[in-house]
Amino acid sequence: MSIGGSDLDQAILQLRACRPIPESQVRELCYKARELLIEEGNVVGVDAPVTICGDIHGQFHDLMELFRVGGDVPDTNYLFMGDFVDRGFYSLESFLLLLCLKVRYPDRITLIRGNHESRQITTVYGFYDECLRKYGSANVWRYCCEVFDYLALGALVSGAATTLEPSDAPFADLNSQASMPGLDQEIEIETLNASGEVMFRFARNSEQSSSAAEPSQNPSSSPLPTPARTGAPGTGASSSSYGSMGSSTGAVLCVHGGLSPLIDTIDKIRLLDRKQEVPHEGAMCDLLWSDPDEIDGWGLSPRGAGFLFGADIVKCFNYKNDLSLIARAHQLVMEGFKEMFDSTIVTVWSAPNYCYRCGNVAAILELGEDGGNGGFVSRANGDVNRAQVLGEKVQGREGPGRRYRVFDAAPQDSRGMPAKKPVADYFL
Amino acid sequence: MADTRIPHQPLKLLDNKTEHKFALPAKCIHDGEDVSFFLTTKAYSDIMTFLFQLNASMFPRKATQEDSVSQTVEAWKLNDPRVPLSPITLKLSQLLEKLASFIDEVPPDTGPRRFGNVSFRKWYELVKERLPALMDEYLPAEILALGGGDSEGTSAKTELEAYLYGSFGSSQRLDYGTGHELSFLAFLGCLWKLGAFPRTESGVEERGIVLGVIEPYLQLVRRLILTYTLEPAGSHGVWGLDDHSFLPYIFGSAQLSPAIRAPADIPAEGSLPNAPNPPDVAKADVVGRERKTNMYFNAIGFIYDVKRGPFWEHSPILFDISGVKAGWAKINKGMLKMYNAEVLSKFPVVQHFPFGSLFAWEKDPAALAINASVHTTSQPTRQTTVTQSRSAPLRDAMQEGMRAPWAGAPTWSTAGTAAPWATTRAQLPVPDGPNQPTRAPWVSATAVPPPASGNATAAPWARSGRKPPRKPPA
Repeated sequence: MSIGGSDLDQAILQLRACRPIPESQVRELCYKARELLIEEGNVVGVDAPVTICGDIHGQFHDLMELFRVGGDVPDTNYLFMGDFVDRGFYSLESFLLLLCLKVRYPDRITLIRGNHESRQITTVYGFYDECLRKYGSANVWRYCCEVFDYLALGALVSGAATTLEPSDAPFADLNSQASMPGLDQEIEIETLNASGEVMFRFARNSEQSSSAAEPSQNPSSSPLPTPARTGAPGTGASSSSYGSMGSSTGAVLCVHGGLSPLIDTIDKIRLLDRKQEVPHEGAMCDLLWSDPDEIDGWGLSPRGAGFLFGADIVKCFNYKNDLSLIARAHQLVMEGFKEMFDSTIVTVWSAPNYCYRCGNVAAILELGEDGGNGGFVSRANGDVNRAQVLGEKVQGREGPGRRYRVFDAAPQDSRGMPAKKPVADYFL
Repeated sequence: MADTRIPHQPLKLLDNKTEHKFALPAKCIHDGEDVSFFLTTKAYSDIMTFLFQLNASMFPRKATQEDSVSQTVEAWKLNDPRVPLSPITLKLSQLLEKLASFIDEVPPDTGPRRFGNVSFRKWYELVKERLPALMDEYLPAEILALGGGDSEGTSAKTELEAYLYGSFGSSQRLDYGTGHELSFLAFLGCLWKLGAFPRTESGVEERGIVLGVIEPYLQLVRRLILTYTLEPAGSHGVWGLDDHSFLPYIFGSAQLSPAIRAPADIPAEGSLPNAPNPPDVAKADVVGRERKTNMYFNAIGFIYDVKRGPFWEHSPILFDISGVKAGWAKINKGMLKMYNAEVLSKFPVVQHFPFGSLFAWEKDPAALAINASVHTTSQPTRQTTVTQSRSAPLRDAMQEGMRAPWAGAPTWSTAGTAAPWATTRAQLPVPDGPNQPTRAPWVSATAVPPPASGNATAAPWARSGRKPPRKPPA
């Protein structure tokens, strides 16, 4: 059968109900998806507004919760930064649904590759076994892996607004409202809960901030050296975030893992031959495997692939490539998102209560469209801290306005128990 | 494999303890081919022999009474006062208590973290610092001193310490898994070979080891996992048997199997009358009751403690096993096969296991020739380069279980992904634990700076020796 038009809509309906589609349909879908993805560059250009999402890992019901919180496709534009599969119970349904949406609304949804979108990793971490169990053969796994090879390696978001239009949502905690920046200020960061209530608002170039989520947060009680300024949860209140510095906003690079010592410009990513299994080393591997860390320069990664990279690396890269922010996923963050290195890089994690046990919340990052505010020039407010970190030379671009929506795991009451218990060969 | 050469003899004691040359255990498994060799070594045979020996002791026993007509069946439970504990098993449980008490000295760090708690490193530091003295206090001096006569020789204590120290997780990765559990089993196996345990009839001492030492060990591990939020080493998410443990499922299923007279008549099917039904693992109330007496249910109870969501969804492998109709003996046999395939035959797990004089990296002349199975052949070789898309490997589900062919144990990763090719980066000879973020399966040994925290995927192919450039190339 061919998958297009109404068949595709039917498949989307079925997958939304968390029911796998037949193998023949998967094959057709994957073929269509590859035709589409082959046309995309290694770095996909994406215009704001867009909602950026991190790891999903087969947590289908939580993906549905994500769409509930962030808005449905195609009403909201989405960019998923990989790791759709492995570990969770519904990698198949999650990935196929996203792929269907991609084929159905190619300009509304962008999928880039994570380190788990790989033959070798999926045979270790679950997706292979899941396909075998759900279809009785590895065919569907093979079709999906062929799609993985065509996924883009990154995305470049342009046209994001520097300032958020503050949402007129109510405050999660009314007592905290008074301490939030007023609506006359430029809002740089806003954090909303799953009900759309404001948990936190942070004004640009201002020390005035407040967190409804963590009203008692007190830097002096932290055992670690803490910056004088307290930020929003996830903005690195206890790491190095002071809010971003600089002037007009640059583009936002989205990549699953992070940077590579072999890549100093985005153009070098564009030159890679990506249509292959993720190699064990090299630039392509690093982009999918690396992690930012509190180190200088580059370090060995405990993962055995990719590298660790420090603030200096990020700031240089952003400056050289006219970026205001790098958004990446790849690491569990208990608060759903974490900004590091003066908000030059953010980790976004979208799998709540990861593996049913981690107790974390998930987040998505909304970047608004620049509505004629492009000529915005930041005010120098004499904040001595701001220009110090790297000196004037590498002062980065001003970060885009960032709205984080934080959500919990989906309720589990409505999930029926499977009737069959396929028995593993060991027990036959 | 497990079901074709089940030994009924207990693990042999060292012939000549006083002349024995001990060795500092060292890593020998560097790639997939080494795993194939491992399955033919004396170390492997000894591990399996000891495991079967302990397993057999947990089967209920029937005895004919003196009137030679009436039969009695005896089964054993957790904290069973009828299981006598020898002085050495008591000492071992006290040693474990002592290690647990260090947890009170090192409360979890309240600072920012990703997942695993960095205070676990402090706990492990205390263990490292105090372990030599604790061993002197709780283990027989005449055994520890073996081989240490002249200053050149390695003592038995050194060899024992390597396995004990490797039993509690990875302080670097802040994780714990079946590789660490295997290290503890080997520690006990070493003591057995050295004659530290008294010889008894009908598995009495073995039962004491399982219920009096291994169960307390599992309790300590669970406390460590909860206190320091240790990640499952090499977690396969829902597609592994259990995030951290394997042994309690073996011994616990034996507890519920039909009574036997001797290890030789372990049945392939059936259950002890009145045993809970396998499907009961999905019922919280039954689990709550049975976990007090049974190791299998106790392990499941811990899953209930830490996971939220439907059992069939977060633990589908255990749920499927609960559908086995042929009883707990069938489950027990399957668990042994699965342990063989998913723990001992997996590169990611066993790569960290160090070999010395007691668990020796030497071919066992009695070992059957092991035909290279798919999962051993597709493990990483020294020259692994995967650059092109390869077609899906043909795999035998039975052999493969849930992990990548090159992936060692399901044990070592945590919430993070490790590269499946990654091999040890731990400081040898201490075996590294199963708890890591996703890591590259291809990773091999390298000293690596401690990560900020765990929870990452590791690359299965990760290997040693990559030097990060100091700055990006121009």
